[in-house]
Amino acid sequence: MLRIPIKVTARKLPHAGGRGSGPQGRINKMRKLVTALIRHERIEGQYQWVDEARGYAERLILEAQRNGDTHKGTMEMADYWLLEKDLVHKLFKVLVPRYTNYPASFTQLWSLGETFPGRPVPMAVLELKGNPWPPVVPKERDQRNSLVNILLDQARKDYRQQKYESIAALELNKQSEQQTSNIDDSSASTS
Amino acid sequence: MALLCRATVLQTQTHLCTNAIVPLRNFSVSSPLQQIIKLSRLQVVDNSAIGRAAAISGRPAKCIHVYNKKGVGTLGDKILVAIKGQKKKAYIVGVKQKQKPFVPRFDSNNIVLVEESGMPTGTRIRVPIPSMLRGKEGDFTKILSIATKFI
Amino acid sequence: MNFSLFCSALVVPCRFSNTLATKLVERHRKSKLASHTREEAETKDTTVLTAPRDYKFVYPEFLPDPTWWKRDRIREKLEREDMMRRRSVIEIPEFYVGTVMAVESSDKYAPGKKNRFVGICIQRGGHGLRAGFTLRNVIDGQGVEVQYDLYNPTIIRLEVLKLEKRLDDELLYLRDAPQEYSTVPFDMEPVVLPPGIAVPINTMKVKLGPRPWHERWERQELKGVEDLGLPERFYKRAAEVAKPWQKHDLMRDYRLAINEDETEEIMTDVYGKMQGIETQQKLRRRQGPGPAK
Repeated sequence: MLRIPIKVTARKLPHAGGRGSGPQGRINKMRKLVTALIRHERIEGQYQWVDEARGYAERLILEAQRNGDTHKGTMEMADYWLLEKDLVHKLFKVLVPRYTNYPASFTQLWSLGETFPGRPVPMAVLELKGNPWPPVVPKERDQRNSLVNILLDQARKDYRQQKYESIAALELNKQSEQQTSNIDDSSASTS
Repeated sequence: MALLCRATVLQTQTHLCTNAIVPLRNFSVSSPLQQIIKLSRLQVVDNSAIGRAAAISGRPAKCIHVYNKKGVGTLGDKILVAIKGQKKKAYIVGVKQKQKPFVPRFDSNNIVLVEESGMPTGTRIRVPIPSMLRGKEGDFTKILSIATKFI
Repeated sequence: MNFSLFCSALVVPCRFSNTLATKLVERHRKSKLASHTREEAETKDTTVLTAPRDYKFVYPEFLPDPTWWKRDRIREKLEREDMMRRRSVIEIPEFYVGTVMAVESSDKYAPGKKNRFVGICIQRGGHGLRAGFTLRNVIDGQGVEVQYDLYNPTIIRLEVLKLEKRLDDELLYLRDAPQEYSTVPFDMEPVVLPPGIAVPINTMKVKLGPRPWHERWERQELKGVEDLGLPERFYKRAAEVAKPWQKHDLMRDYRLAINEDETEEIMTDVYGKMQGIETQQKLRRRQGPGPAK
């Protein structure tokens, strides 16, 4: 079972393989996208096309993982879907071992928003998981040791220190005043 | 449906009148529904002389009326046929159309000819007939009595 | 503004309206209600017998209809239980398209209240309790076909007279073939295969009669039919309307079939129950016909 949510009906994508290319053109476009994905491990394209190609890539890897390279039907599929034949080797010898005992989907899809300026076309990035490229969403940088932050931290600390000192001085004053008043009261009562 | 067919034929013929070459048939003669309606050709399966003569002459019996409200004949229905220039009553004993489970479907539409009195014209039915027809009553029992095999 | 924050606002992982929110699923997983069922499932997996991989071809009717809007997991499971209950009463043998079979069904009009029909299985289909098959035979020069429901309670006995497969999934072209291809004698003796042997495949090629036919057979990739001998224009048109891209469409296959994981789950369930039923049937066969008959 595929580990990605799929649409219950396939997109027709009438213009994917060029206008008037029909369903054969659509499949040809899908083959190009799957080949590019296996080759480069990260591709960018129209959301509709890339999302459709994602299912084919997932299914191809899943079949390769399940049946191995000795299965005739799977090898035929790999031969059909991978236009560059060195990628057949990559599929069975690199990707299948990479995703053994892998619980989640093999690919990740990122929405990029619409193109601007011009006609708005939703774009997306499709990548194989475990690829060598830097992550699409960068990790948050650790900026604690930047000069500005260090100076700000120190200033904050100093300010707090001053605050504490002033509070402490106030308390001391209060206590001394109380003591003197107590002494006055006691002397008055004894007399 | 037959009327519709006729209408299209007339249209095409008038349309093609101006052309030099008029095709023999410019409409589809396939019958995907395989219904028994008016003008359907049927096979007589009893051993009556008239049925055999019609089969040999290459002009099998033609349905000209179906005695029910739908106008489509099914198993056990009574119809009127034109055969060898005569009008004859007949019962349908086998149909080509798709049937429900457990009801046999035949490779041809079969009929048994009967006289006006309700007696069958032949004395024997040559092919098997559906077993469910044994539940029929009235004149149909006379046909069941000349049947040889039930399935 | 922080750069990473800016990025995460633009590049977001795709969300689908038809999936459950992860937070919701996690909460359910941690709840007490779900925990015991999960443990039970885990312990079950170790003891259950796994079905052979080709088991789905032996009992194809156990797989549900893959049409997405017809799926209902609970109904499917209940139906499977009903089918098993029926199978424990009546022996429904393994058969394929091309197998010669005899069906004995109750018929209230027949003298012995029984009706027997023998023929070649030309079609098999349906899912669950609605599964069925069609038998074809030629009787007195008249082609007859009867469609049967596999799980109909009016069926008394199902008998396989000659177990074999043919080259095609459907033999509907026998309607357009000469009658000798679909003629089977009613008093045919059952052919017993040696135990442990694979189901034989009959590689006979049928020579069809002249046109007109029921269907345009030249447009279907039939393996069990001899060369049709049509003029060139028929094959040209067939090539025009062919859909060669469907052969390798992985996602089309995936959507039109029950996926492998689910098949395995269902077939494992079926396999476990069928073991018990088969041993019961063997015992019953050894004891011979009981007094009930």
